[in-house]
Amino acid sequence: MTARKSLLKVILLGDGGVGKSSIMNRYVTNKFDAHLFHTIGVEFLNKTLEVDGNQVTLQIWDTAGQERFRSLRTPFYRGSDCCLLTFSVDDNQSFLNLSNWKKEFIYYADVKEPENFPFVVLGNKVDVTERQVSSEEARLWCQENGDYPYFETSAKDATNVAVAFEEAVHRALAADDKADHLIPTDTVKLHRKPRSATACCS
Amino acid sequence: MTSTACDCPAFLKCDAQSLRSVEGSTPRILSKCIFSLEEETHDRPLRITYGWAHAAGLKEVRGEGDPTRNGICYFYPEETPLDKQDLLCGQLAGVGRCVSELSSSSVQTLRLRRCKFAIRMKEDFFWALGCSMEVPSDSVCELLDHLINLFCFYNGSVRQSYQLNSKESLAAEWARYLFHVLSGPSELHYILRSLRTIDLTNVDPLLLLKAALILQACQRCPLVLAGCVLFRGRAVSTQMPPQLTMKVMVHESKTYTKTQRLSEASPPSSDGGPVSSTAVFLTPSELQYLQAAPVDKTSRSHSTQEKDAPPKKTRLSRTLSDTPSSESEPSHPVSRQSPQKLSFSPHLSGSEDSVFSPVPSQSTADSPNPSPVSPVRPFSNGGNSHETVEKTLDESHYHSFHSSGDEVSQIHNEADGSVFEENLYLNGGGLGGDATCETSFEVRGADCGNDLLRDDQMAAGEVEVSCSKVRGHKAETKWPPPVSCAVDSLEESPLIPMMLYMHRVNSLVLALLVEPRFMSDTASMEEVNHSSLASLNGLEAHLRAISPAAPGAAGPYLFAHYDSIQSTLTTNVSGRPGGAPEHPFVRATSLLHSHFFDTETLQEAIIRSAGTAVYGTRTVAHETYFQQHGGSVRNSGIPNQQDSAFSLPSKARHRLLKHRVNLL
Repeated sequence: MTARKSLLKVILLGDGGVGKSSIMNRYVTNKFDAHLFHTIGVEFLNKTLEVDGNQVTLQIWDTAGQERFRSLRTPFYRGSDCCLLTFSVDDNQSFLNLSNWKKEFIYYADVKEPENFPFVVLGNKVDVTERQVSSEEARLWCQENGDYPYFETSAKDATNVAVAFEEAVHRALAADDKADHLIPTDTVKLHRKPRSATACCS
Repeated sequence: MTSTACDCPAFLKCDAQSLRSVEGSTPRILSKCIFSLEEETHDRPLRITYGWAHAAGLKEVRGEGDPTRNGICYFYPEETPLDKQDLLCGQLAGVGRCVSELSSSSVQTLRLRRCKFAIRMKEDFFWALGCSMEVPSDSVCELLDHLINLFCFYNGSVRQSYQLNSKESLAAEWARYLFHVLSGPSELHYILRSLRTIDLTNVDPLLLLKAALILQACQRCPLVLAGCVLFRGRAVSTQMPPQLTMKVMVHESKTYTKTQRLSEASPPSSDGGPVSSTAVFLTPSELQYLQAAPVDKTSRSHSTQEKDAPPKKTRLSRTLSDTPSSESEPSHPVSRQSPQKLSFSPHLSGSEDSVFSPVPSQSTADSPNPSPVSPVRPFSNGGNSHETVEKTLDESHYHSFHSSGDEVSQIHNEADGSVFEENLYLNGGGLGGDATCETSFEVRGADCGNDLLRDDQMAAGEVEVSCSKVRGHKAETKWPPPVSCAVDSLEESPLIPMMLYMHRVNSLVLALLVEPRFMSDTASMEEVNHSSLASLNGLEAHLRAISPAAPGAAGPYLFAHYDSIQSTLTTNVSGRPGGAPEHPFVRATSLLHSHFFDTETLQEAIIRSAGTAVYGTRTVAHETYFQQHGGSVRNSGIPNQQDSAFSLPSKARHRLLKHRVNLL
């Protein structure tokens, strides 16, 4: 038994077709399927990682990007530890929609302090030659919206996918620690492991 | 008691002594499988209780003086004294054989005083399943067929099973199937044998699509024949015919209870999930059905022999609503078999009997040992109510509307008490009875032994037998064809071994029928796992988040809507204890269903008592029953236009729309 075992919920949001499911599959199974059907509602996969000597189960939630699936996906935002806002570098509209995705997440996940919540931005499909969103544009948006880390990924050729998830894990753990520090030191921690408790009920 | 359920009734009288001699003179009956109904209890009119005795490999009974008990393989209730088992088995087998030889047709049902027995005879095997008289004959026959088919699905041929296994271990199998069959939520499920599906009222249809897509994704692996997705023991989506899905669900309920116990010890994990498998056996027609359904093979993986599977017409979805098109190419059962896979051809052993002959000598080298079957695990949530009070319709009037619509034939039945028993004999008696070729016999035994089921009842044994030839045209009207009826398993064709692969994610199960070598093909297993795991996790999360529909008040009406093609039942009859007001409805449904089954041309009917009325209507695909509560039924006993019973059809149309039942 390691000193700290926890479950981290990471959620992928973004327009339909930007490659959220492919990113998840690439990271967890290291496979790429060019003919995936639209995700309906939500899906998730677990991956166990070792971070700073701690066992962490990363639960990656993949969501449906299409508007018509909104009512199916939004109930599952709650409880996320990190949100991966995803767009496709060959689709400018998906980039412009990032703000909407952020808003939707903050609203439905009921985030108490949106400015401190760990978001990570992914620009997927960098293997495509005809880009519509430049690297600079994306970085600028990230800087202006809360200094989010930005990764240019390709699920197809596995570029930066693992790095992006590792960063998400670190951000989530850091935010977690920060929240722990906010607790006054003279209180008794009755809920030392809240996440593993909820996992039992799933 | 006379019978009018046939065109050419015949009567047979024999006493217990002659029954014995009949049995003794039929050495070919080597084995018997008897389900007898325990005596009927009055707290639950349609309660089915069983005795099932099965006598296999009964060499000892060949001689005149050999005791029947040596041939009894299974009898339910198991605690029944051997003498009683003996007596009942001897009588049923004797009468069954005698009648079938006299009439040159197989015996379907047999009446023994207050019990009705479905009979199946094949070579030296004999089965009987008994139930109360109120259960429609076709329902009890279907139930028996279902039990036999379940056994064959999980164990292969009956004869070989009894050659390889002890009576005791197979008795546990029979008990398990009986228990499963009996665990239906309400009595209606005995009458209208249906697949238990999830309650669709709160489920987003997109989730059904999601389930269907999971199954499709799995079929990209050529070793996967078809599958179904089950949630909490109910079907969400299936690519298999309903009868086959029902069989698969028996295994699911077993693993479900097992997993429930395990999950108490350790928290459930959603990565990987427990994967299990068991050997199963398909009938040739089942296999043909599964292979005939077009699969988008172009998108199938190239990892395994794709050239074996000729590309067929593609189809977007093979969900519940998707019926096979008649113009689809004929399937070639052998075409997909690689040389090393199956060492037999259906034609070679065509003369052999499917159920009763040994399994074709298929090389087991490429298939792992089937997981041993574990003992019965009672299905925990299948409660039967015993605390309900029987209510009879004191006075009933039977109205039937023929398809012509104008003519209304009305039959008054002023029987006191046993209305249904009486009404059963209306079947075919002028109501288009020529639709079925059924023969009924009645046997009165002056004294057929002492205490068969209940001493006083059985003192003067009274037996009625009905034989029927295969209802050819009946089968034709069913679409898609009933692939796993009794005829299927009893006809002469070999059973094909397959594997049932199950992947569980908490309460959700993905069940796939796969070729035996799938289990040893790591690449294929991985591919299926990868293509389905995330979606299964998600679907489970979605379905779990759906709050169960509030049971709520039953409302001012009762209804049951049966889809005979998909074998689904939609009803607001709860079957819970204390549902006494539902009993008249269930009994009326039973009677109407019986009439619909026997009378092909009958489309609408109302059955009524002084206090209430039940309306029934059917089409080729559906049967719907409706009863309105409250309101005074104006009934003068003679046909009357003001009679409120006549407004039932329009009320049913109106009320049932919100249950997605369209009677227009």
